[in-house]
Amino acid sequence: MHAAVKFFLGLALAVVAHFVGAQLFPGFPRAVDVFLVVIVLYSLSGDSLTSLLAGLAVGLLEDTLTGGLYGLYGFADTIIGYGVARLAQRLVIQRATGVFTVASLASLAQQGIVVGLAWTVLPGPSYPRPLWVGVKAAVCGALAMLVYAATERFRRAYDVRRRSRMSRLRLG
Amino acid sequence: MDERRTGWLLILVLAGQFVFLTLQVPGTGGSRTYLGAVVLRLVGPVARAVAAAGSTFSVTRDDLTLRDRLIAENRGLRREVEELKLRQLRFEDLGGEMARLGDAVQYAASPMGDIRAADVVYVDHASWLRTLVLYSGSVPARVNQPVLSPAGLVGRVVVVAGPYAKVQLITDRAAAVGGMDLRNRRQGVVRGNGDAADSLEFDYVPLQADIRSGDRVVTAGIDGVYPRGVPVGTVAAVEPGGQLFHRVRLVPAVDFGTLDQVYLLDHLPVPSSIQKAVPGARRR
Repeated sequence: MHAAVKFFLGLALAVVAHFVGAQLFPGFPRAVDVFLVVIVLYSLSGDSLTSLLAGLAVGLLEDTLTGGLYGLYGFADTIIGYGVARLAQRLVIQRATGVFTVASLASLAQQGIVVGLAWTVLPGPSYPRPLWVGVKAAVCGALAMLVYAATERFRRAYDVRRRSRMSRLRLG
Repeated sequence: MDERRTGWLLILVLAGQFVFLTLQVPGTGGSRTYLGAVVLRLVGPVARAVAAAGSTFSVTRDDLTLRDRLIAENRGLRREVEELKLRQLRFEDLGGEMARLGDAVQYAASPMGDIRAADVVYVDHASWLRTLVLYSGSVPARVNQPVLSPAGLVGRVVVVAGPYAKVQLITDRAAAVGGMDLRNRRQGVVRGNGDAADSLEFDYVPLQADIRSGDRVVTAGIDGVYPRGVPVGTVAAVEPGGQLFHRVRLVPAVDFGTLDQVYLLDHLPVPSSIQKAVPGARRR
């Protein structure tokens, strides 16, 4: 599947998951950032340009669903997208635990950037509670790990089925 | 594109966004951005569909499991409606009397304005950057329009995108409402408390003011956005804040976690007669 299609499909799923989560659990947006998970998983491809643009697009979408100034998350997610892509160019991240670490660190970095920006441009801003910053980072890491493991498993199963079908076709 | 050029693009994009952020002045008009409105228009229908699906599901579940309780509740509500109708008659009588007295002393009270219902399609009241998105139907909301619930003040509209509108909750740290203690008419500014979710502060109340726990705070009608007399919250704690002012903590009148419908108040901060005489006039 084309990377752009995958990205938009993932983004659409994230939007629905965010609204359903907020509908079922009022504290959902405080504990989980599904949009960050989409950025991290997309940026693991290592293409820094498209990851930068994906981060920008997802961040601006996230800004619509949060209070404060428009562009806080756009700024933070642009850096996250680019940063994760650059990291993926240097490190081989194939294990699910590696994805957990990257997503958790990305969440911490994102929240840190948003808080720093709010502190810079807003008069007397409020800040998130440190406990919830940690919870969000851990939940984002776990979610990214689960999605990564599930998609890898699906991809492997798909490859095996395709190979067996090809070999049967050759025999026939 | 090579990595060096991408790096330059990143710097350019970030610089552009930073300028864009600093240009947005969080004043009375909120952050009005065309891009924000476009994105809200795109994601608003998804939020509405999810909210509608959730509502349908819960209604069906209630129909199946709570039929008897609903019937009993309905009977109770009918009785309550009858009582309220009687009270309304009494209030209408009092209102007429007040109007007659007002005429006698040539006092014209400002009208509260009409209200219309709007569905809440998304609410995030727990995060530190809290917000609410509503669907107002065929008549769009307008920026700075007050948003109420039967319990009290919810906030004001900051972004409008067709039938969808983004609301700044009064618990937002950047929000400010002119408030008044109902018992002693002492005025101050109600602001969101950044440290605790769903908590408010009542600022600029001097130390000599007699303010106690349990006092009810309503809108003062001095900020040019909200009309007077809408419940805002109840005083939960009064502490000596500094040399001049109390530190007053309020519990909001509205439970933001239970909002599924709100009311948009078509309240004109400036009377229409003055607006006709002085186009573009704003109450400060």
